[in-house]
Amino acid sequence: MPPLLEMLGIVRTFGAVRANDNINLTVQSGEILGLLGENGSGKSTLMKVLYGMLPPDSGDIRFRDAPLDAKSPFDAIKAGIAMIHQHFMLVEAMTVTENILLGWPGGGQVLKHKQMAEHIRQASRRFGLDLDPDARISALSLGRRQRVEILKAILRDAELLILDEPTSNLAPTEVRELLDIMRRLRSEGKGIVFISHKLPEVLDVCDRVVVLRAGKLAGEAAVASISREQLAEMMVGRNVPMPRVTEGEHRRGALRLSVRGLSATGLSAITFDLRGGEILGIAGVDGNGQLELAEALAGLRPVTDGIVLIGDHDATQASVTARVEMGLAYLPADRSHTALVKAMTVFDNLMLRDSRRPPYGTRALLTPKTGVARARDLMAQYDIRAPGVDFVVGQLSGGNQQKVVIARELSRAPTAVVAHQATWGLDPGATRFVLDQMIALRQQGAAIVYISSELEEILSISDRIAVMAGGAIAGVTPNRNVDLRQIGLWMSGRHA
Amino acid sequence: MSDPSRAVAAAFPARLLAFSGRRQGLGVNIALALALSIVCAAILIALAGRSPLAGFLAILDGAFGSAHQIGAALNRSTPYLLSGVGVAICLRAGIINLGAEGQIALGGAGAAAAALAIPNAPPVVAIVVALAAGALAGAAWSGVAAAIHLGRRVHEVLVTILLNFIALLLVQQLLAGWLGQVGAGFLQSPLMPRGAWLPKMPDFDAHIGILIAVVAALGAWFLIWRTPFGFGLRVAGASRLAAAYAGFSRSQLTWGAMALAGALAGLAGGVEVLGIHRRLIEGFSLGFGFKAVTVALLGATEPLAIIPAALFIGFLETGSLAMQRQIGVPTALVTVIEGLTMIFVLVAMAARRK
Repeated sequence: MPPLLEMLGIVRTFGAVRANDNINLTVQSGEILGLLGENGSGKSTLMKVLYGMLPPDSGDIRFRDAPLDAKSPFDAIKAGIAMIHQHFMLVEAMTVTENILLGWPGGGQVLKHKQMAEHIRQASRRFGLDLDPDARISALSLGRRQRVEILKAILRDAELLILDEPTSNLAPTEVRELLDIMRRLRSEGKGIVFISHKLPEVLDVCDRVVVLRAGKLAGEAAVASISREQLAEMMVGRNVPMPRVTEGEHRRGALRLSVRGLSATGLSAITFDLRGGEILGIAGVDGNGQLELAEALAGLRPVTDGIVLIGDHDATQASVTARVEMGLAYLPADRSHTALVKAMTVFDNLMLRDSRRPPYGTRALLTPKTGVARARDLMAQYDIRAPGVDFVVGQLSGGNQQKVVIARELSRAPTAVVAHQATWGLDPGATRFVLDQMIALRQQGAAIVYISSELEEILSISDRIAVMAGGAIAGVTPNRNVDLRQIGLWMSGRHA
Repeated sequence: MSDPSRAVAAAFPARLLAFSGRRQGLGVNIALALALSIVCAAILIALAGRSPLAGFLAILDGAFGSAHQIGAALNRSTPYLLSGVGVAICLRAGIINLGAEGQIALGGAGAAAAALAIPNAPPVVAIVVALAAGALAGAAWSGVAAAIHLGRRVHEVLVTILLNFIALLLVQQLLAGWLGQVGAGFLQSPLMPRGAWLPKMPDFDAHIGILIAVVAALGAWFLIWRTPFGFGLRVAGASRLAAAYAGFSRSQLTWGAMALAGALAGLAGGVEVLGIHRRLIEGFSLGFGFKAVTVALLGATEPLAIIPAALFIGFLETGSLAMQRQIGVPTALVTVIEGLTMIFVLVAMAARRK
């Protein structure tokens, strides 16, 4: 029997980045396929290509033994593919039945409310969904809402369901129930693509796994024949090491950043000390508290417990501005809405956090003359390629945008730096630039917290490596003869 | 947050209105929008069986035909300019302040009350005190809106609109009570003391309000482009996350922008009362609040561009009276032109964001 879905030689590039580089993927009817990979490994791109949201540069897709050329999600849905997104597309004020009827195919016919409710009752029983057709969405838990989405797919005769990180918002019991529902769907002959970072779930429910890394197929295996350790290793990968900058004992400066039992929403009891001239690499799968840690350090997230010291100053309750004045620089992961204002100019973005200080201004007034002069200097010094300081940042390349952020943050000669996904979306050259800047800053005696889901970078520039999982630090190790398997295990949430 | 306020928040394209970066070509787009709405108006006049050319000539004559007409048009533009600049300051920060109407009404009441309280003050003192009281009253009212918005997280559109009704009723109540003129057949205050009347400009029928308004617009320009506070407003309008990252407190920006908008609207009310009516009259500010929004958008929230925008609306409305008299096309047509302009301007802005 031919496979339910066959994707052959899928290539999709964004500028210089090959997000999908010749990827093959098959799914059989009655099979649950686990799709794994770190952030930016190309999973979402591949699924968007399948779902008609992105056209591939090349490659073929066959579905139900016929070529599939979905130009939009509508085409994919019509062909029998359903994607269950992390964020549900439901109208909260309406009932389950009404939500299913919304956008029901076969427009023009009279909608049979009663009949549909009966369909829902039957399907709900058959797949163990336990849904009341007359329940209002607003009264349902997140797990139940997800089931409404699954039900919508079933009732529209979807043969292939794509579940994108479906367990990330669920309570443990709901996760177990979802996995049971997936098994029932499998026994009814549906194909399922299960995208997840959580290895135990993947090993529990999947028949086969496909691992992507840096846009390429990194491995494929039957779940029965692979251990959790092997899977972790496959995900993290053993890439060609970048030139190791850190060798031997580093010069230890004064204590620059001291964090004691720092807790916040999504963050529990983080503790570390960082001296000048030291880089602490924080690894981990995205969404395990890294953003929360970065924001709590930068003053953008209320701290519920613990202490943050920047140099000699207690910064625990200090404002963002006060922390900047204490010598803290912050490179946020969210470049488009936080670190930069894309609609504003290079000049505006260079003074974003410094408008009340010379040379950009005083507390009451801006001083454009000296400010523009400084901006020109920074553009030259950091090699920001833009026609001028009045150029809109949104029109620069990703690398040049990040250079604007780096120029602003690092030109202040900070004593402590928090960098979060500082190379995200950058090409190799720009990535190298960012890493070199971090190393230079370390040389100058700054303490650097380098948070990244790119383990390779962490291995290349860190003095110590901490791994975050579930909002806590799962383990710390000096960057010497690092056991990658141990790192992978820490990442997947198993404590040492 | 309540559900209706979310719905309102979703319905209002705050992002669309809050521009902070460069606006290449926006002027051209707005000019196009204006031209389109005038074409539509011509079609409407033609459909009414009149000559569009005659209609427009009548408007021009009504607006510019004499020093008296020009003065009247300038007076009409004044409250639009003042309150429009205030609305624009808010829009810069992504705050949609639709409360100018109520702020103008209370500003008028504040100015009238102050002027009546010091009947024997020398002219300059009386005017300054009365206008300051008007600005203060307007700022107090927008402060109430800011407090509810920030404290209870109700969307600012809802708060500012609803407070308009309360403000109008408050003014009514004041006029029915201790600010009212006993024995008048209409809800109005006694005449202001002469010293509080705004002086007229030589050779013109216009009072000095328009000068105050232009100075206010220049001040707003300076605030937006030459102070860290204005920079914060622009950043917040483009991205709240970036504003927080840059160390601008959202509540401080909101308080500041709302207080300034309220003060400018209150000043508009004061100027209207001291310059035109010379007494507080019920409903003197009817419709001004939404004209303020029109003018702010027509000027693309750029204070210097709001000056011509306010003059355009003021002259258009003054001229339309002549059109009604001369060729019998009702002044309501001007409301249509204003509405169409708004639609076309919004479309032009949306088109730019594509």
